[in-house]
Amino acid sequence: MIILETKNLSYSYPDGTLALEDINIKIEKGKKIAFVGRNGSGKSTLFMMLNGTFRPLKGEVLFHGKPVKYDSRSLREIRKSVGIVFQNSDDQIFAPTIYQDVAFGPTNLDYPKNKVEKIVHDTLEYVGLTHLKDKPPHHLSGGQKKRVAIAGVVAMDPEVIVLDEPLSNLDPVGADEVMDLLNELNYFGKTIIISTHDVDLAYGWADYVFLMNDRKVLSEGTPEEIFRQTEKLKEAYLKRPITLEIYDEIRKRGIARVSKPPRDIPDLVHTLRPQHLMWVDVPPEVKEGETINLGILYGEFAQDSMYEAANCKVLHIHEDGLAIVEMDRKALRAGSIAIYDTSQYDNEEILKIIKRDDIECVGAMGKKSKIIAERDEIYLDVTAGVIDRSILNALSGQRCLILTHGGMVEHALERINGYIEKSGINLHVGVVTGEAEKDNGAGSC
Amino acid sequence: MTYILDDYAILSPLRSRNNWLKLAIVAFGILVGVSASSPLVPFTIALCMSFATIYFGRIPVKFYLQILSVPSGFVLVSIIVIAFFFGEGVDIFSFSLFGYTLGVNPEGLNMALLILARTFGGMSCLFFLSLTTPVIELFAVLKKAKLPDSFVEIAMMMYRYIFVFLDVAMGVKYAQTVRLGYRDFRTSFRSMVMLGTNLFIRSWEQGEKLYLAMNSRCYDGKLIMYDEKRPVKMPEILLTGAYFTIVITVFWFTRGMSLI
Repeated sequence: MIILETKNLSYSYPDGTLALEDINIKIEKGKKIAFVGRNGSGKSTLFMMLNGTFRPLKGEVLFHGKPVKYDSRSLREIRKSVGIVFQNSDDQIFAPTIYQDVAFGPTNLDYPKNKVEKIVHDTLEYVGLTHLKDKPPHHLSGGQKKRVAIAGVVAMDPEVIVLDEPLSNLDPVGADEVMDLLNELNYFGKTIIISTHDVDLAYGWADYVFLMNDRKVLSEGTPEEIFRQTEKLKEAYLKRPITLEIYDEIRKRGIARVSKPPRDIPDLVHTLRPQHLMWVDVPPEVKEGETINLGILYGEFAQDSMYEAANCKVLHIHEDGLAIVEMDRKALRAGSIAIYDTSQYDNEEILKIIKRDDIECVGAMGKKSKIIAERDEIYLDVTAGVIDRSILNALSGQRCLILTHGGMVEHALERINGYIEKSGINLHVGVVTGEAEKDNGAGSC
Repeated sequence: MTYILDDYAILSPLRSRNNWLKLAIVAFGILVGVSASSPLVPFTIALCMSFATIYFGRIPVKFYLQILSVPSGFVLVSIIVIAFFFGEGVDIFSFSLFGYTLGVNPEGLNMALLILARTFGGMSCLFFLSLTTPVIELFAVLKKAKLPDSFVEIAMMMYRYIFVFLDVAMGVKYAQTVRLGYRDFRTSFRSMVMLGTNLFIRSWEQGEKLYLAMNSRCYDGKLIMYDEKRPVKMPEILLTGAYFTIVITVFWFTRGMSLI
């Protein structure tokens, strides 16, 4: 279903400079969209047209198939439905306290006072800022301000959330938290549109990408399609995502399988060929092409797991009994990923689960879960890129626990199951909330 | 980051007390202090308010003395002048300078002491307010005091952007300093002018962005007030009552009395 559409959209600034030229885009409901382009390519201007702030010079913007009108009533409607988060949070947060700023939108939508209060309270809890509600914005860090800005828009419950460079000036963990938040919002059905010049972010995150340069949309498509078009990227003054660069290089050297271009690190790891060639003394009765069992490697020889079984395929035998073998290592203990929903948090239970399942790696996703973990002094091994990291660790035999809540539980499950399906590697994965009471340490997951 | 009065107020434990009570305490202090004829009354008020600010408001003593030293500089200069040139009567202390005789008489000295005490009394009341009640709390009070909505709203936005511009100004000033913009008087002057121009243009742009930001969130002439219900508690009433009683008692017994 198309939610936003533009037809032959052009715009020029009051001084006559053309800012957008003949833009035709269709945005599907519930998708994660990225507009990628260098600075000054027209992304921000386009965003300002999507909620009716700028009036087009030519062409039109359609919301749910109906052209946007520019009388104050219709503008109110579209602005309620398409929320914009500005690049600079200080431009957006204008009220003297966080509470007042988040309440600004709902108040202007004429909600009754107690409803406004409830919305603000829920939204602030959702972005993990309840404790700062009576603080003035200049006491907040950049990441906190960005979350306030997002909360101010989310409080109006828009269908589409448009974010202009959401990660600019954020530290990696702060950026990750904002992305977690966006993923969760998307999971609950919001269409998320971001602009960025970070190709790695757009490549790994988006469902659909628009490549922009010089007031025009150069190209559009899935990230896999777009970021393979080296010429187009060059034309847009962008470079290829680092995952693709690495993949190409290792593929040229024959270390990676030819597959679909990998989008994230787990994908990239999956393309690696399990190939170790080495010299081994073999008994005389072994013939070329046979498989021999070298036993179990452990300690410093097992690089990725506690124990690894090494089977070797004999490729070539020399006269003196030395043979070239291709080693195929298999981790003996399979890794697993357990997901814990912190909305039904119980400290005792979590400690029990960590002990019962021999958890080696705990990660938290979402501000709320991180706050809980910090409060109860649960040591977090992973705080950024939690799903990817957990998959990677589980692949090398570790047992991981992800603390998260709400919609992100489903999101995490989906991502991990997606990986399992794609790679054919069977990791144990499951939600463990409330399990400890049921089977009380009877078995592992 | 430099701390300003408001930052102390935001972190002060007294912030969470009833704003009207704090305003009443301050108004009482100022009115009684000004109407008393003896320096003892404002002096008592200064002591009580300073104690409340430092002890209940957890303001560092060093910082408090620092900000108090600003008005004391002015007041010390002016009371010397007042002591020497005001009042009539027999001099209790005099010396001659270039043939002129300068003297202090009891009336002038009394006046000087009264002004000294009043200044400190008034200042300590105002510091109590500004160090325990952040501006963001006062907006709701202004609104309740039936000031026009647009006035309060503009005040709120001005408050917010003061800090944004303070940041910008400090950034620009630093950038100028590291490129020797404040080397001597001439360059300092030029740099200051540039800083001012820059800030003016920025605030103009910010105004336009503000308009966009408000419109994007359906601005309809309504801003909500941050107004938490904070009933006055019993200990607060007792303490305030004790304070009022002490001040009024001192006021009563020092009627028409002078120190010297």
